[in-house]
Amino acid sequence: MAITVKTVRRPEGEVSYLRATLKGMVVTLSHVFRPKVTMEYPEQKSTDDWTLSPRWRGTHRMLTDEQGRAKCVACGLCPQICPANCIKLVPGEDEEGHRYPLIYEIDEFRCIFCGYCQEVCPEEAIHVGVHYENAEYERSRFVYDLERLCAQTHPVSTLWDPSDPQGE
Amino acid sequence: MADQPLVRLTIEGVPVSVPQGTLVIEAAKQAGVMIPHYCYHSGLPVAGVCRMCLVEIETTPKLQIACATQAAEGMVVNVLSAQAREARQGVLEFLLINHPLDCPICDQAGECELQDYVFQEGRSRTRYTPTYAKRFNPVEDFGGDVLYVPNRCILCTRCVRFMEHVAEEPILNVSERGDRAYIGIHPDRHLDHPWAGNVVDLCPVGSLLSKDFLHKARAWELDKTPGVCTGCSQGCNVNLDTRTDVVVRVRPRANLDVNQYFMCDHGRMQYRWMNRGDRIEAPLVAHGHELAAVSWDHAFARAAEIVRGTAGRAAVLASPRASTEALFLAKRVLGRFDLTAAFRVQRVSEEAPLIGVPNLALRSERAPNVTGATLLGYTEQFEVAVKALSGSAVVLVLDDPLEGVSADLLRAAGQVIYLGTVLPDAARAAHVVLPIANVAEEDGTFVNRDQRVQRYFQAKVGPGMARPAWWVLGELLAELKLGGPFGSAAEAFAWMAAEEPRFGGLSYQLLGTRGMVLPAGRPAGVGA
Repeated sequence: MAITVKTVRRPEGEVSYLRATLKGMVVTLSHVFRPKVTMEYPEQKSTDDWTLSPRWRGTHRMLTDEQGRAKCVACGLCPQICPANCIKLVPGEDEEGHRYPLIYEIDEFRCIFCGYCQEVCPEEAIHVGVHYENAEYERSRFVYDLERLCAQTHPVSTLWDPSDPQGE
Repeated sequence: MADQPLVRLTIEGVPVSVPQGTLVIEAAKQAGVMIPHYCYHSGLPVAGVCRMCLVEIETTPKLQIACATQAAEGMVVNVLSAQAREARQGVLEFLLINHPLDCPICDQAGECELQDYVFQEGRSRTRYTPTYAKRFNPVEDFGGDVLYVPNRCILCTRCVRFMEHVAEEPILNVSERGDRAYIGIHPDRHLDHPWAGNVVDLCPVGSLLSKDFLHKARAWELDKTPGVCTGCSQGCNVNLDTRTDVVVRVRPRANLDVNQYFMCDHGRMQYRWMNRGDRIEAPLVAHGHELAAVSWDHAFARAAEIVRGTAGRAAVLASPRASTEALFLAKRVLGRFDLTAAFRVQRVSEEAPLIGVPNLALRSERAPNVTGATLLGYTEQFEVAVKALSGSAVVLVLDDPLEGVSADLLRAAGQVIYLGTVLPDAARAAHVVLPIANVAEEDGTFVNRDQRVQRYFQAKVGPGMARPAWWVLGELLAELKLGGPFGSAAEAFAWMAAEEPRFGGLSYQLLGTRGMVLPAGRPAGVGA
């Protein structure tokens, strides 16, 4: 059986691409006059109506006392509570007989940023930070030692306070 | 005790019968109730100073301290009633007035009775203002291994009573009065009594600390394994505290028949060698003038070849630190030879007794299994055995450090099989070296000087291919078709019990964690 082709005539107005193209251009042009929603990272890191939450849990920071020493007393609670087992702590004694960490290392690759270490710390020494720019050239650089943790300057996280559940 | 009349009383609704004269606090243990206490300790005289064990006794108008009240017929004791709880809460609140909030840096945290009881029944918040200045006294070095942190002290006087009534060297006291009181030490003396380390264990809080253990580990990181002290032939029961396969401290384990609640400082410090790093990690076989690492199968085949291929005289040089099982099996391996079995032990001239406990002392022979070795036919004529080495066809060394035995002397013997944890220079003359586990890495038994057979348990993993001596010797016996192999130390012990009449009827299950006196041995022990 021979193949027959049935030709259907369509109205000119429906098959013209010109109309659809112009419609698209109108949509595109209308966006030019709308308020901007993108942020030009990395030049711009926050806007008036958007910043990192103060409860953001990023890479750690160790707070220091007036003499610049870590506030940590090596009590061993953070390695105990850490669900990812990413904190290495070896306690020791300084010249004045105070307990302090000989080794304090956090493997930021293993860390799951739960913030339990900050929550459990009785000395308010270790904190998770409001910080997210952590790129490095070597994997080994992601194990933060005590010196590096103390040298961090970013703000620290404000954890959720059960007594003030609505507050920031 | 058995012929004493019983009295019946009710504690927290549980009826119990106890011998007349039993203290309420002890009777409560039978009822399954632990009455909180600080100053009371079963091994010390009653002081009744801490007031923590206040309980309500019906028919008595005021609350009574359970540690100084004797159980009486028909007594009804309420430990958890509102009145008793409130009183104990008050006691805890007073204790916390001056107790520093330094749990994060306190070595006792995690095993502190103050923490436990405050958590259990203390107030959840303080009623003192934050500006209240706590009592402060500087940390004092008591000498010996003991450090005193007066701020944490709750003045239970356990340490004072231990030194006065148990060690009978009263050099501690309670100095000053009222809220200025602290534990004082004789101005010209140090806490260097050979049993003084017990005050650290007795201290319910972190006030008396061990300098050796200071800042080393947190209590919750430690695994505790029952063991037997290797310091002397007394055989004090201990717990080996390990963290990640490292023994970090040794503490006494209560056994009323051997050491009660105590152990000496010498035994306490006997653990560092268990963590030695220079261990033999693979079986070695002599290859020309060198020792070459081989598989266990190869090493057993070579050792069996040595034992099978020779005849005549043989010697076993054993260590009295080896388990009873290993000592027995070592002699069995060379059973068909004319055998000289000897050990040597370090003897010091003086014993260091703990006067308050009968038959408890740091003994002069400083090895745990001297009696076991003697019972199994080893003699202490080590020098004689060494002199006779040159005429021996086979020499089996069981963990003897070979001090004073030169490699040449060993080479003069026929063939040498060395079982050991470490490789002393002289042992390089051995033909086969079999690596064995040390006391912390295997199950086994020791026989103490009172012929009490006591089990010790594996606390950590041995290095490399090192295996327990009972396993190594069992496999060797199997290779020689003389017995074995054994799947566990219990099997090895069972075989010994069947073959050696002196150990007849004993098994690991019967020995438990407290041990048993050998059937033929004299019924010895504390107070016997």
